[in-house]
Amino acid sequence: MTWVLVSFNLVMALAAVPAALIARRVGPGRAAAVGLAIFAGAGLACGLADSLETLIAARCIQALGGAAAVTAALELLPATVGSEQRATTVWAAAGATGAALGPALGGILTELVSWQSIFLLQVPVALVAAVPILAVAKHEAATGIVSTELRRTGRPHLWANLALAMVSAAIAAALFLLVLLLIEGWRLSPIEAALVVTAMPLAALVGGKLTDFVPDARARAAAGAILVSGGLAGLAFLPKATIALTLPPQILVGIGLALVLSALTETALHGRAPQAIHGGWTISARHAGVVIGLLALTPIFTADIDQQRHDAINAGTAVILDSPINPLLKLDLAERVSERLEEERGKVPTIDPAFEPLPDDPGERSEVQQLQGELQDQLDRGATHAFSTSFILAALLGLIALFPIVLSKEVEL
Amino acid sequence: MSGEGRSRGFLLVVGAVVASLVLVGAYLAAGGSSYEPEKVQDPCKPRPWSNPQGLSEIANQFTVSALDGAACQLGVSREALARALATPEARERFKEKYGITDAKLAKAVRAGLVRAVDDAEEAGALSPLLAVPLRETVQRIPLEQAIELINDAESLLGNVNSFLGPAGDLLEEFLP
Repeated sequence: MTWVLVSFNLVMALAAVPAALIARRVGPGRAAAVGLAIFAGAGLACGLADSLETLIAARCIQALGGAAAVTAALELLPATVGSEQRATTVWAAAGATGAALGPALGGILTELVSWQSIFLLQVPVALVAAVPILAVAKHEAATGIVSTELRRTGRPHLWANLALAMVSAAIAAALFLLVLLLIEGWRLSPIEAALVVTAMPLAALVGGKLTDFVPDARARAAAGAILVSGGLAGLAFLPKATIALTLPPQILVGIGLALVLSALTETALHGRAPQAIHGGWTISARHAGVVIGLLALTPIFTADIDQQRHDAINAGTAVILDSPINPLLKLDLAERVSERLEEERGKVPTIDPAFEPLPDDPGERSEVQQLQGELQDQLDRGATHAFSTSFILAALLGLIALFPIVLSKEVEL
Repeated sequence: MSGEGRSRGFLLVVGAVVASLVLVGAYLAAGGSSYEPEKVQDPCKPRPWSNPQGLSEIANQFTVSALDGAACQLGVSREALARALATPEARERFKEKYGITDAKLAKAVRAGLVRAVDDAEEAGALSPLLAVPLRETVQRIPLEQAIELINDAESLLGNVNSFLGPAGDLLEEFLP
């Protein structure tokens, strides 16, 4: 799964600026239309992919189309929303909302239909989006209007883009790790996990409203980075494996990501032209951040989960051996529990099947059931703990982003 | 930038810091960093018996002592050995993983049983008169039977007469 995510984000990071340059040369309408067509076609290929290699290849092509469409959209938006300033705000907010909403929607579709449906649904959505753009593309073709400003492209905003990359790495980790914790660690179904992480986009909507009250983009970016880090640290120190306890950290991350992503994008684009190219730099920074976050944290939490599984097998056996249950049952249970843990490699399983059938004797049954509860609690806490280091590192990335945020120029929007 | 804009920005940053600190502080106070996986103890260290009451509790601690003794001999954890002794397939996997022969395993399991008898005697759960022949006997039994005794210590301690033969009838009365 990591490589499916990494491949898409890596290509987006590499293709965003060249795609923006092409959009400037051929016209944003044509670039967006072609980009959306590629995105839709590759989405269809993703949905029909019969192997991981095909899926990854199709995702790479989809990222090329996506890069063209997203960067060109920034050039097209001022005509729709009235001003370049408003276009920047809408474009930045759309990016933040998409980042927060993606995992929730993906989880719901995976459970209700299939993982393929995530990609197949993108096909009609992209085609519907292409309809109004075709009119612009036709107009461009008829008038032959293309940009002549290529030579006047200014340097990208270094600090804002650097901060975007760091914060995006932290946010990617928050979304990816939390979904993994819920599904692999706490055994939630994809739809249940999706419903749980819906807290983040809902909080992001609230965070988006704060933009109107605080004109200082640097303050919003700093507050957002702090909230994202605080939420991630909260996830690292969950006192219990309980869904309700993930909600306050998610609210912080959700509000934080809406604040920081939009503020940094606006800062990176403020007073710079052409917008598509600088927008391309922000897309590139964000997706590079996602790649860095995934590549840096995946081996850490994979190793932690392996260690946790090893600890869980030993802890489970120790708890069983020290329990007052019949020794005959003990060794048998110890073996069955460790078999369950081995079978579900990489996951923390429910150990209920290992305890079936329960003893007939009421006293013994009650002892075994108590042991079962203790053991499952140990395993759930162990699974939660296995993600702690990764969440802490992601929180640190968010905090490190404060340096470039402080160094970025004060922008009032 | 206007003064009001600045102060709103300042308040937002302060609010973010406070909210983050409150959340992390509350989670730490509730035990968010206290998780420690259950420790696997060194099987060579003595594990004191906790004043066992009744045959079932004696058998329970006898099993744990025997596992400790055997695991100590083999240089593995008690938990790994316990899982290995549950089924013949698990035992084969264990032997392959740790490079242990049947003879070495048999010797270790017998040593474990001797330690269990020693511990039971020391805890006052087994009479010295019964412990001596039991110790002698468990040092000679085949591997399969030795493993069975670890698994089913209650049956061993409950039917010590049949296990020790005719001498057992005389000695059984010394069991607490």
